[in-house]
Amino acid sequence: MAAAVEPSNIQLSYLDVDRTAQRVMAPAGLKYWMWVAFCAFLAALGGAFWTRQIYEGLGVTGYGQPTLWAVYITNFVFWVGIAHSGTLISAVLLLFRTRWRTAVYRCAETMTIFAVVTAGLFPIVHLGRPWFFYWLCPYPNERFLQPDFRSPLTWDFFAISTYLTTSALFLSVGLIPDIANMRDISIGWRKKFYTVLSCGWQGTDRQWRNFSMAYLLLAGFATPLVLSVHSVVSWDFATMQTPGMHSTIFAPYFVAGAIFSGCALVLTLIIPMRKLLQLEDLVTIWHLDNLAKVVLFTSIVITYSYATEFFVVWYTQDPIEMMTFHERLFGLQGYMFGIMILCNCLIPLFLFSPRIRSSTVWLFVISIFVNIGMWSERFVLISGSLSTNTMPSQWKFYVPALTEVLITIGSFGWFLMNFSVFAKFLPIVSMTELKDGIEWLRKSGGERYPYRKAS
Amino acid sequence: MSDGLSRRSFIKLAATASAAAAIPGCEPAARKLIPYVVPDENLIPGVPTFYATTCAECSAGCGVVARVMEGRVIKLEGNPADPISQGAICARGQSALQGLYNPDRLAKPHTRGSDGRLTPIEWDDAAKLLNDKLAAAAKAGKDRVALVGAPQGPTLDKVTQAWAQAYNSSRVIFWEAFSDEPARAAAEACFGRRDLPIYRLDQAETIISFGADFVETWDSPVEYARQFAQFRAPKTRAGSLSIGHAAYVGPRLNATAAKCDEWVAANPGSEGAVAMAVLNVVVTQGWVAQAAGVDVAALKTLVAAYDPEKISAQTGVPAATITKIAGWFGQATDGAVALAGGPDPQAHLAAFILNAVTGNLGKTMVFLDNAPAQATSRPADVRAVIDAMRDGQVDVLVIAGGNPAYSMPPGDAFKNAANRVGFVVWAGEVPDESAELASLWLPTHHALESWRDSNPRAGVYGLGQPVMQPVFPSRPLHDILIESAHLGAGTAGQAIAYENAADAVSTGWQELQGKIGASATPKQFWDDARRHGGVFQAAKENTVKLAPAVFAQKSPAPGAAAPLTLWAFPHIFLYDGRGANKPWLQEIPDPITQIVWDSWAEVHPETAKQLGLVKDYEGTRLFAGINMIEIATPGGPIELTVTISPLVKPGVIAVPYGQGHTSYGRYARGIGVNPFAFMPEGTRSIAVDARKLDKTHKLVTPLGKSDMMGRTIIEAMSLDDLAKGVEPDFGEEKMDQPYEMYPPFVYAGHKWGMTIDVNSCTGCSACIAACYAENNVQVVGKANVDLGRIMSWIRVERYIRDPEEIKEGPPVYIAPVLCQQCDHAPCEPVCPVFASSHTSEGLNAQIYNRCIGTRFCENNCPYKVRRFNWYAPEFIEPLNFQLNPDVTVRGAGVMEKCTFCIQRITTAEIDARTEDRKLVDGEIIPACAQACPARAISFGDINDPNSAMMKRRDDNQGRTYTMLPEFNALPAVTYLRDVYQEKGKA
Repeated sequence: MAAAVEPSNIQLSYLDVDRTAQRVMAPAGLKYWMWVAFCAFLAALGGAFWTRQIYEGLGVTGYGQPTLWAVYITNFVFWVGIAHSGTLISAVLLLFRTRWRTAVYRCAETMTIFAVVTAGLFPIVHLGRPWFFYWLCPYPNERFLQPDFRSPLTWDFFAISTYLTTSALFLSVGLIPDIANMRDISIGWRKKFYTVLSCGWQGTDRQWRNFSMAYLLLAGFATPLVLSVHSVVSWDFATMQTPGMHSTIFAPYFVAGAIFSGCALVLTLIIPMRKLLQLEDLVTIWHLDNLAKVVLFTSIVITYSYATEFFVVWYTQDPIEMMTFHERLFGLQGYMFGIMILCNCLIPLFLFSPRIRSSTVWLFVISIFVNIGMWSERFVLISGSLSTNTMPSQWKFYVPALTEVLITIGSFGWFLMNFSVFAKFLPIVSMTELKDGIEWLRKSGGERYPYRKAS
Repeated sequence: MSDGLSRRSFIKLAATASAAAAIPGCEPAARKLIPYVVPDENLIPGVPTFYATTCAECSAGCGVVARVMEGRVIKLEGNPADPISQGAICARGQSALQGLYNPDRLAKPHTRGSDGRLTPIEWDDAAKLLNDKLAAAAKAGKDRVALVGAPQGPTLDKVTQAWAQAYNSSRVIFWEAFSDEPARAAAEACFGRRDLPIYRLDQAETIISFGADFVETWDSPVEYARQFAQFRAPKTRAGSLSIGHAAYVGPRLNATAAKCDEWVAANPGSEGAVAMAVLNVVVTQGWVAQAAGVDVAALKTLVAAYDPEKISAQTGVPAATITKIAGWFGQATDGAVALAGGPDPQAHLAAFILNAVTGNLGKTMVFLDNAPAQATSRPADVRAVIDAMRDGQVDVLVIAGGNPAYSMPPGDAFKNAANRVGFVVWAGEVPDESAELASLWLPTHHALESWRDSNPRAGVYGLGQPVMQPVFPSRPLHDILIESAHLGAGTAGQAIAYENAADAVSTGWQELQGKIGASATPKQFWDDARRHGGVFQAAKENTVKLAPAVFAQKSPAPGAAAPLTLWAFPHIFLYDGRGANKPWLQEIPDPITQIVWDSWAEVHPETAKQLGLVKDYEGTRLFAGINMIEIATPGGPIELTVTISPLVKPGVIAVPYGQGHTSYGRYARGIGVNPFAFMPEGTRSIAVDARKLDKTHKLVTPLGKSDMMGRTIIEAMSLDDLAKGVEPDFGEEKMDQPYEMYPPFVYAGHKWGMTIDVNSCTGCSACIAACYAENNVQVVGKANVDLGRIMSWIRVERYIRDPEEIKEGPPVYIAPVLCQQCDHAPCEPVCPVFASSHTSEGLNAQIYNRCIGTRFCENNCPYKVRRFNWYAPEFIEPLNFQLNPDVTVRGAGVMEKCTFCIQRITTAEIDARTEDRKLVDGEIIPACAQACPARAISFGDINDPNSAMMKRRDDNQGRTYTMLPEFNALPAVTYLRDVYQEKGKA
C-alpha cells in the first residue's frame, strides 16, 4: 500500500476497508507472538512482585509515612485518565457527528476497556489487605455491613465499575456487525468464535435499526461518564483536607487532564500500529492531526488549571497551602513539577505548528512526553502533596522501590498484551463505520487531507 | 508459641506463679506442675495481678508495680505509694521488661574452650567448675578472688562481700560508669559527710543546673521531672504571677536545657568554672545569707579567680549571662537551688557552696538522717583491684553486671587486666563485652525475677520481689554466690548465714524492722513491705554546716578551651549503654536530635563549616545527618556521622554514650561508637582533631522538618500575656463558631478528653515507652524508620528555632502528639468500610478487623497520628511474652492508632457496671498519662466539669489551645501553652 497522503487513497473502496481489516487479523507471525510474549513477561513480572507484596506486606514497597498514597494511586489515576479519551472519541464525538472519529474510535475504545481494567487493578494492588477488596461493594451479608457512602472511595468503586460496564457494552455492541463480517469469511475455530460473538447478526433491516438505536443510546449513556468518572476520581483527593489537594478545581481539571493524556496515548498506540499493520489508508494523517488538536486544546486547559490552582492558593494566602505549593516548586521533588510543566504545558505547544501535527514521528514523540508529564502530574499531586503535609514534623519524601517500579512496568505489559491480542483477533478499525463514512470522505476528500502536499 | 511451652502448660505454669508469690524462693515447689482441680480463686484469666517491686534500671530506685497477667509481667507502672516515683515511671524503667524478655538472654551456663568456643553445660557442672576454681584460688592465698559487679541493693551487696570473705578476699568492686563519687567527694569537702542531700526543686524559685540533666539521666529523673513541673507551673508570688527561673549550664542544649529559661552554652568541662563565677557574683553582690554564717572574706578569696569577665574566654560564657543567672539565684526570695552533674568536682563543690551560702541548705537542698552509704566503690578501690588483676594477683574474677569491659575507662585497661586473670566468670543476663573476657558464663535472674532491696535515700526502703516465674532456666546471682560461699567457708574463710538470696533479703528486712523501729509483727512488716513495695518513712532532716576548710581549697581558674573538643554525654535512654539491647529504647527518638538506632556527632553549623560540612538537607529533611567525620582522639580515630544543630556550643562535638557495643545482643551490636573506649578517667571531654571523610552514613530520624512554620502545633506564651489574659496572636485564622455540616454528636454518657500541659512536658518520652508496652506497638528497626514506618502512636514533637533569630520564646518546642480524638474527625468519613468510626464516648475507634488498608484516613488526618502496618509484626520469642492480652496484635495491612487506651476504659466501665456504680474520675488512666513523670497529661470526662482534667483546663483558661484549629476537627485533646519569662506583647 502506498502512503496515506497519496491522492489515490481517497478513492478508497468498500472492499479496501474489508481487505485491510481482514489483513490485520490474518494469522500472526513469529514477530507478533514474540511481542505478545514480551508484554506477557512484563505483566507476569509485575504479577510476581505483586504476589510477593501480598505475601510479605506493603513493606516491600518504598511506601511510608506520610506518603501513604503514591505510585499505585498515581497509576490508577493515570490509567483511568487514559481510558477517558476512548469514550470521548467513541461516544461524545459520535453524538456530535464528528466524522474523523470513525477510523480511530475502535482503537480508542479498546484502549478504554483495557485501561479501565488495568486501572481497576491498582486500587486493589494498593490495599493493605487486597483479599478484602470486595468489602467496598454493597453486597448482602449476615453482618449487615455496608460500605460508607460518605467515602469517596465508595463513590470511586461505583464510578469505575459503571464505567467499565458501560464501556464494555458500548464496545461489544459496536463490534457486532464487524464480527459478523469476520464470521462470514472465517473458517475453523475462528468461525465458531466469531459466530458466538456476532450474536446471530444477519444484517437485516430490523437488526440495523435496533443496532443503530442501541448504539446511540449507549453513546448517550456513556457521554456523562466522561465527565463524571474522572470527577469522582478527583474527589478522592479534593475531599481530603491535605494541602495541595483540597481544591474545587479538581473535577474539571482532572477531566481535561484525562482527555489530554488519553488522546496522547491514542496517538502513542495508533502511530506505530498504523505503520506496522499498514493501516495508513484508514487512519490517515488527517485523523492524527485532529487528535493532535484535541491534545493541544486540553494542554492549554490544564495549563490554565495549573495557573488557577496557584492563583487560588496565592489569593487565599493560606500559609499551609502556600508552603505546600512552595515545596511543590522548590522542594526536594521540585524536578517532578518541572517535568510536569515541560511535558504538559510547554512541549504540546509545538502542536500549534501544522508541520509538526502532520509528522507521525513528532506526534509520537510529543505523545510520549505528554504521557510522562501526566504521570508526573499525578505523582506531584498525590505523593508531593502528602509529603508536605500539615505537620512539618511528619514531612518525608517518597522514593519508589523496585516493587512499585516493576508493578508499574507490568501494568504497561498487561495493557499492551491485552491490546495486542485484541487487535489480532477482533477488528481494531471499525469496518462498519468506515464504510458508512466512505461516501463522505470521497466527496470532501481533498479538504480532509490538507497536508498531503507535505510529501 | 514455638516448641517448649504450649499454651496448656503455660497456663499450668501460670498457676504456679501465684504459688511463687506466696512461697517465694521455694523453687522446687514451683516446679511441680499440678493441673487445676479446683482453680485458684485469685487467679482469673484476663484479670491482672499487681506486684509491687522496685525498678533496677538505674540507681534512682523508683518503686514500680508490675502488672502480671496469666503469670507473665506485661507492664510496669510507677508505684503510687513510693515517694520517689509517686506512680510515674520513665522510658528506661518501662523497658526493663525488654531486658527480662530479651531474646538474647543466656539460657544455659556456658564454658569457653581453649579455642575460644562456647559450649553449653549443666548448672551442676557449672557450679562445680566455679567452686573448684574458687577453692583453688582461696587455697593459693588471700585476696586471690575478685568480683566486679553492679550495685544490687544494700542486702545483696553485703552478701556479695560476705561471699568474697568466704574465699578469703576483700576485692569486691561495685561499678557504675556514672557514679555519684564526685558529688560525694564534694559533700565531704563541704560538709564533712559523704552522704548526698535530696533536692526540693518544687520549693525553689530559681534552679541553676551545672551540667545536671535532671529530667533525663541525673540522679532521680522521674522525681525531678515531677518537681520541675511544679517549679515551672505559673503561680502567684508576692502578688504577681510568676514561674520559676531556670538555667542550664552545659555545652549542649539537651531536654533539660530546653525547658529552662536560659541555656548557658559553656565550654565542655567548664561548668565548674561557671559555677564558681556565679558564686563570685553572689558573693561580690552581697547576696550571701546572714543566717548561713559563712566567712565572706574567705569565700571571696576562694572565688577571686572567677571574675565573670576574666573567665569568660575560658568558659565561653559572656559575663552578662553569668551576672544574669547569678542575679536570679541570689535574689530569689523563695529559695534557689544549684545542681551539679558530671565528673567535674569543682562544679559539685561550687553548687554545694552556692546552696549553703544563700541559705538554701535545709530548704531546697536537705541532708537527711540515716542516708544510705555510697553504693559504688571509690575510684581508688577500683584502681587497686584492677591493678591487682593486671599484676596477676587475682586467680578468679567474677564479673556480675555493670559491664566494666565496656564502660570502665580508660580504654582497654579493664580488658587487659582481666586477661591476666587465670579464670574469669561472667554472670549476667545478656552476654556483653565483659562476657567476651570470661571462660564461664552463668545466666542469672533478671531483677524482676529475683529478691532484692534498695535504699535510694533515707527513709525509702524498697523491696524487690520476683513478679513471675523465671523466663529462662537462670539462677539468682546471689543464690549462686551463697551456695558457693557455703562451700568456700569450709575451705578458707568465714561462713555466710543465709540459705539463699530470698533468705538474705527477708533476714535483712527483719534487721531493718529493728533498725527503723516499725511496730508490726515481723510477718506483718514483711507482708506489708511486699504489698507496698517497701517501707516508706519520712526521714528526719539533718542540720549541717558548711565546713570552713572548704574555702581554703585551692581552685585554679580553668585553662583556655581547646579549639575542638569532643564531649560525651549520657544518652537519655541508653544511659551508660545498658539500654542498648532494648529495642524500645533504640527506637524511641532522642528528644532533641530525634535520632534513632545510632550514635551521632552533634556539631554547631559554624564548626561544621570549619570541617567543610554544610547542612544541605534541612529544607526537606529526610535524615538527621549523612556526612562522616574522623575524630582523632588520643585513644585512636573514630568515625561518626555529623548532625548539624544550632543547639550545641561551637567548637564542640557532642557524642552520646551508650552505643558502640561489640556484643550485648542483636539490638545493641554493631551500632555507632562507644565514647568510654577513648575517654580518659574522670572526664567527659577531650581535645580532638577532626576531618571530613568521603564516607557517608545515614542518621535516621522519624522527624521531617524541625521548623514549625508558624502553625498552631506547639504554642508558647509570655508570662506577661498570661497574667494579663492576652491571647497570643500567631497570625492564624480565627474561627468564630465551629462550622457544623452534620448534626453534632450527642454524648449522653462520657466524652473522653485529655489536657496536655506543654509547660510541664520535658520530652522524656516515658509516654512513648508506656504506649509501646501497653498497646503491643511493634518496633520496626532503623531501615523502616528511615522509610517513615515508625509505629509509635504517640510521639514527642520537637521544633527548634535558630537561637540567633529568636526575639522571644523558647528555642525548642517539645510536646507529645497523639490522636486528638476529634469530633469532626477527618479520618472517619473517608473510610469506605467504617473501620474508622466514632464511638458513643467520642473516641475515634479503629476496627482492625474491618480495615482493608486504603490508608485514606491517615492521608486525611491533619495530625498524622495514624500508623500503618507495612509488615506483619514480629515479636521475637520471648519478647512476645510481654504482649498485653487485652490489646489485639495488628496484622499486616491494617491501620492502627491511639484510642486513649480503650481497653482500660472498657475494663473500668465493665467493673463499674458490675459493681453497679458510677465511674469515678481518675479510675481510668491511659498508659501515657500514667507514666508521665511530669504529670503533663491528664485524662478524664469532658462531660464531667468536676473531673480533674476539666478542672485543669478551667484553672489554666489563658493557656488552652487546640492543635491546628483551622481544620475545624474539634479535637478532644486540649493543650496548655508553654510559658516563658520574657515580656511578650502585652
